[in-house]
Amino acid sequence: MIHEEIIEFLSKVPPFQFIDDAALKSIAQAVSMDYYPKGTVIMKQNDPASDHLRIIKKGGVKVFIASEDGEEVVIDYRGEGDTFGFLSLIGKDKVRANIVAVDDTICYLLDKDNALKIMNSQPVFTEYFLKSHLTKYIDRTYSEMHNKSMMYGGTDRILFTSQVGDIAIRDVVSVKEDATIQEAAQVMCQNKVSSLVIYDKNDFPAGVITDRDLREKVVAKGRAIADQVKNIMSLPLIRVDATDYCFEAVLKMIKYNIHHVLVVRDGMLKGVITNHDLMLLQGTSPLSFAKDIENQYTLEGLAPLANKLNKIIGLLLKEGAKASNITKIISELNDRLVKKVLEIAEKKFGTPPVSYCWIAYGSEGRKEQTFKTDQDNALIYSDPKTPEQEEAAKKYFSEFTVYVRDGLINVGFPSCEANYMASNPQWCQPISIWKKYFLNWIQHPNPEALLRSVIFFDFRALYGNLSLAGELREYLIHNLKDQNIFFARIASLILKNRPPLGFFRSFMVNKDGEHKDQLNLKLSGIGPLVDLIRLFALESAIHETSSMERLHAMKESHPIAIELGEEIEQAFEFINLLRIHHQLDQMERKVPLDNFINPSKLSNLEKKSLKESFQLILKIQDGIEEIYRAGMVGG
Amino acid sequence: MLSLFRKYSGGLLASSGMDLSMPIDSAPYVVMDTELTGLDFRNDSIVSVGALRMLGTRIEVSRPFYEVVRPSTELTSKSIVIHEITHSETEQKPGIETIMDEFLKFCEGAVLVGHFISLDLRFLAKEMKRFGFGSLKNPAVDTSVIHDWMSQNKGDFSSNYFAGTESKDLFSLAKKFQVPVQGAHNALMDAYVTAQLFQRFISMLIKLGVRTLRDLLRIGKP
Repeated sequence: MIHEEIIEFLSKVPPFQFIDDAALKSIAQAVSMDYYPKGTVIMKQNDPASDHLRIIKKGGVKVFIASEDGEEVVIDYRGEGDTFGFLSLIGKDKVRANIVAVDDTICYLLDKDNALKIMNSQPVFTEYFLKSHLTKYIDRTYSEMHNKSMMYGGTDRILFTSQVGDIAIRDVVSVKEDATIQEAAQVMCQNKVSSLVIYDKNDFPAGVITDRDLREKVVAKGRAIADQVKNIMSLPLIRVDATDYCFEAVLKMIKYNIHHVLVVRDGMLKGVITNHDLMLLQGTSPLSFAKDIENQYTLEGLAPLANKLNKIIGLLLKEGAKASNITKIISELNDRLVKKVLEIAEKKFGTPPVSYCWIAYGSEGRKEQTFKTDQDNALIYSDPKTPEQEEAAKKYFSEFTVYVRDGLINVGFPSCEANYMASNPQWCQPISIWKKYFLNWIQHPNPEALLRSVIFFDFRALYGNLSLAGELREYLIHNLKDQNIFFARIASLILKNRPPLGFFRSFMVNKDGEHKDQLNLKLSGIGPLVDLIRLFALESAIHETSSMERLHAMKESHPIAIELGEEIEQAFEFINLLRIHHQLDQMERKVPLDNFINPSKLSNLEKKSLKESFQLILKIQDGIEEIYRAGMVGG
Repeated sequence: MLSLFRKYSGGLLASSGMDLSMPIDSAPYVVMDTELTGLDFRNDSIVSVGALRMLGTRIEVSRPFYEVVRPSTELTSKSIVIHEITHSETEQKPGIETIMDEFLKFCEGAVLVGHFISLDLRFLAKEMKRFGFGSLKNPAVDTSVIHDWMSQNKGDFSSNYFAGTESKDLFSLAKKFQVPVQGAHNALMDAYVTAQLFQRFISMLIKLGVRTLRDLLRIGKP
């Protein structure tokens, strides 16, 4: 009975929950149990190394070190299911930290010999203790979540588990660039391939032709088959690495609207992967959805597709896709829908008087959309050269943007309540005005300016004359240089939103109201991370807008990204995944989507990961407070 | 020295050969409980024995002692209701004499601890005598007696625990000191509850000046 109780407890607690039953049983037959009243010093800094690993059954402890001048530095609080004393156990070192019971605490004790025995036979056990808790645990949490909703057979999952190299079985078939179109077509027939790589005179791959090029550029246009093949090849060469997951290939096909992607291994061209290969691999999927969008030429035709998108996402999620991959696909497909709407609008209103760029910002700008996506868009147009042109531009774009707004509503993007849309004249302006907006927000960081800058500074070009957005980005980066007061204001805004983690690592949830006992994942978890990463990116003159891309871009330059980049990424992935799962669940139950979860309903591992994510945010926020304290006071 | 000590101290305590100056938070204990066919010393007998070793406050949960035996007197329906051990369960079991050696070994070198332990000890002594095992020489303390003593000598720190009068059966005390109770009236699980109670008492006793085994035996003798 006592053994069963121990096993039952351990089987819910990482890392014990990952080890096999036999090992768990042998642990239950080796542990003892001790009791430490509140205030007991369980381990003392510089004492001889501990001889037991302790697992907290009830209560909690504080881990702290005393600095040389006697100051107490709290490192951690540990509660039920947490362990302590491991490092000291495997090292022959003295105890590194003081551990004091902050509550009446009951621990199971596993002696050194048995702990070492388990470590030798259960790699997962050692792994848990030796690496930082957050980073390695996340993958297991994924699979845990994944198992929860394993209701579909594997189809799209293959996209995330197979490497391109594994299925790109087609050899590269090639011709020289001076071959004729007919010669090229003959080579394709002989080799039964639908694509051909064209090498230039230096034997470098220069382009690719596909069945589609022959159809569209030769047969349909009546081009001479004696013409050189280089005149019809597609540029540039879109490639993926053989070690990339197939999903990357799908993304590129969607993005560039192509069906053939070259596969490179160790820098050498090794093969071709086609949409046909991928279709065979996984049935219909995001790719065919992209094609569906492409084939629509009216708003009426696009509208039914929006619902289908959500179904695809649900499928991807159930097959274990990472959150960042899912949001990437959502963004890519949403982009396609938006572009299509803009194309349709252009057809209706004719060529604009001046060139323009359609931009997205907020989560859309960061490519971090989930199921529920409001419109967050704006329009930048080239500065008109004459008053007449100015008039014409104003008139054109005011009608154009209203049409696009309604079109987007039609295909499933609700309008933005705060009216952050291009149809609002304020956000449909020539580039010179946009520059003035930005400069004004930076130089006069009042609350409204700050709010707008965090929304708009995540802007991303979606359609049209992309160089306008590029110019605005350069302008922004240039004018942010050394704007320490602005950064300090952003920092103090960030510090107002601390993750809801109470003393002793308990979640703080809403005490009453509609969301009693729940916490808001977007507001309390994703928001703070996005804000922190944005601050670092703006400081570091990073062009990227997606949080993950920002993090990667500064992983060698920004001190916090260098130190904690990996943990931040894992925390971000984890919270996002929780949120997407939650929303998918709501969607399936046909209730309105929100970001509220009840943490007590999470599994122990999920709780632990969420707590660790929150702690990470707190840690970074503390660091920021340190750095910006002067600026906050002065500003 | 030891033999001298034994001679002069006389009786149960000293013959165990324990060092009574040992601090109570590092001494070895055996926390035990028995289930009986009834409470009549003459006509009832032991049905099961459960025990756990402790080293100071540390309960060695991994090596419990638990045996059900065929009682030498009839199981009464009144007792079956309490401990839920039935005729069919005890029928195939050996008599208590077959487990006695093992139990004595389990208790070797430890202070015995139990809740109202004198009852358990009396029945054990009766059975041992019957089968010629001599007597159980370990020193023993009673958690109910310790609790009474603490109630009378309470320091400020414990005022919350010892306010008012109340029942002092094992499960009331368990509730009071927040010891979880499972499988009540199983000898081992009751021993486990008693052990956890004693675990909490040890740290309280130290604060009340009870530091060595000698001190403990003085205030906790059954």
